[in-house]
Amino acid sequence: MRGLTAALEWQSRAVVGRHLRVYLKNWHTSFLPPVLEPITLLLAFGLGLGAYMSSGIEWNGRLVGYINFVAPGMLAYATFMTAIFQSLFGAFIRMRYQRTWEGQLTTQIELRHVVWGEILWAGLLTTSYVAIVSLVLSGCQALGVLQLRLEYLPLVIPIVFVAACAFAALGLCFTALVPTIDHMNLPIFLVVLPVGFVSATYFPLGHPVLAAISTANPLYHLAEGLRGLLLGDRAGYHLAGLAGLLAVMLVILVPLDMRLLRKRVLGD
Amino acid sequence: MKCVPSVIKPAGPLLEARALVKRLGGRLVVDGVDLVCHAGQVLGLLGPNGAGKTTTLRMLYGFLSADAGAIRFEGSDVSRDLNRFKRQLGVCTQEDTFDGDFTVRQNLEVAAGYFRPRPPEVRRRVDELLERFALATYAGDKPEALSGGFRRRLMIARALVHRPRLLFLDEPTTGLDPQARVAVWDLVNGLRAEGLGIVLTTHYMDEAERLSDALTVLAQGKVVAHGTPKSVLGDMLGEHVVVLEADGATMPAVAAWLGTRGLGEPLAVLGVWHLPLSGEQLADFARSFPALRYEVRPPNLDDLFLKLALPCAG
Repeated sequence: MRGLTAALEWQSRAVVGRHLRVYLKNWHTSFLPPVLEPITLLLAFGLGLGAYMSSGIEWNGRLVGYINFVAPGMLAYATFMTAIFQSLFGAFIRMRYQRTWEGQLTTQIELRHVVWGEILWAGLLTTSYVAIVSLVLSGCQALGVLQLRLEYLPLVIPIVFVAACAFAALGLCFTALVPTIDHMNLPIFLVVLPVGFVSATYFPLGHPVLAAISTANPLYHLAEGLRGLLLGDRAGYHLAGLAGLLAVMLVILVPLDMRLLRKRVLGD
Repeated sequence: MKCVPSVIKPAGPLLEARALVKRLGGRLVVDGVDLVCHAGQVLGLLGPNGAGKTTTLRMLYGFLSADAGAIRFEGSDVSRDLNRFKRQLGVCTQEDTFDGDFTVRQNLEVAAGYFRPRPPEVRRRVDELLERFALATYAGDKPEALSGGFRRRLMIARALVHRPRLLFLDEPTTGLDPQARVAVWDLVNGLRAEGLGIVLTTHYMDEAERLSDALTVLAQGKVVAHGTPKSVLGDMLGEHVVVLEADGATMPAVAAWLGTRGLGEPLAVLGVWHLPLSGEQLADFARSFPALRYEVRPPNLDDLFLKLALPCAG
């Protein structure tokens, strides 16, 4: 329990503050990916691939333009990938190569704060990333490229933050387990990419087996939940499913992260 | 809150550890270690590799929790309020743990942010430390641009940014050239004079002898000697060390002489034997080998290390 409540302690905020300070030092380069990625993806998937589906795509029994189908999926996928990669590579580099954690642990910061600092930072970074992507989507809508219910975008932000924290908790497990940075390929190819593919982010899941598997995938519920909000359809079922899965992930994975990283970092 | 260290020594010790035990990976690494450090005192923690120095130090500064035993700061059990205890500590680890994303100045500023109550007037404190540790010229540089000696200075400066009362230095001069080592010694001396309690681990015997007011010697996880450097050497080794070339025909007789008196194997270094002896034993040795050429010198901590590395030695 103490491990979970450490999220609210000042030390966790101090760790987040450190990461934010580094991010703001490099803000000009940090801003580029969230601006360029959605533009590239909308051009490639929405306009490029979508051109082959001029009549749209069937979703929840109705036809929607493919670019409108892709845009909420893009927000979900960006949430997943940004949080996971931050907690995999960013955290691993700070732990293993920069020894930032070891320096922090010689102060009043405890390991539980380092873990929460990484999770909350991944959540914050992902949320800012998605907020920028949302602005780009709003710009595209203003140009007539998209038809989304933009008034629901503010609801997306807190959902993305919690989801990113849970995904980061998953990423930190791998960070604690992989022996070297080269071994990151294992969780990426065995877990991250399969979860990304079986999620209905960029294409609907027609196959019944994939559809069944996807019900246990939080990214699927995130994609469908955001799609429901932004396209105007049932979002409640997916958001409730998402809330349940994220709660389970956080309650199980955060203490597990702390246990695994205690062994890895402190040797205890 | 009182942040400036007092030069008036309190009645009791600043730090006291009793019967510390730690197992790591199923192996008993620290086995009932006791130690004491007073304000204004440097406690040298010595021992060969694998003796349990760093693990003991890590328990003392809260990095690891002890399996058994107690750590007290000014008489209070630190486990009751570890966070408050850690506010009083400065830690300089063996490895450099700078934040490579920040400059020298920013490293000090960011470290100050990891303490509550916040250190007062952080900017002034950082300027003061940069000046004192001769780092002002490099304030805007990244730590990796610094030489080894200046990196160590930055590590120590960072450990002091919040005005701690107890400082842990884990092998602070390893890998430094003699000039940089002496500079670190001067800094340590100055900090002691200001009333900081300092716990120091080192492999350099001259460093331990010069800097330490008290020594605690560890071997295989246990305290094997404690006291002033002079008394530890006396207890562990005796008053004299006989040094002789180990290539003479009388060497088997010398070895037999050691054996019959329960003094174990001689400490051999590059064909030279170093025999720690008491005054009585030296007189006996002189009587037993009147024709042998040898040198007699006072013992030093190198002898102690050699002896600890040869546990069968008497």
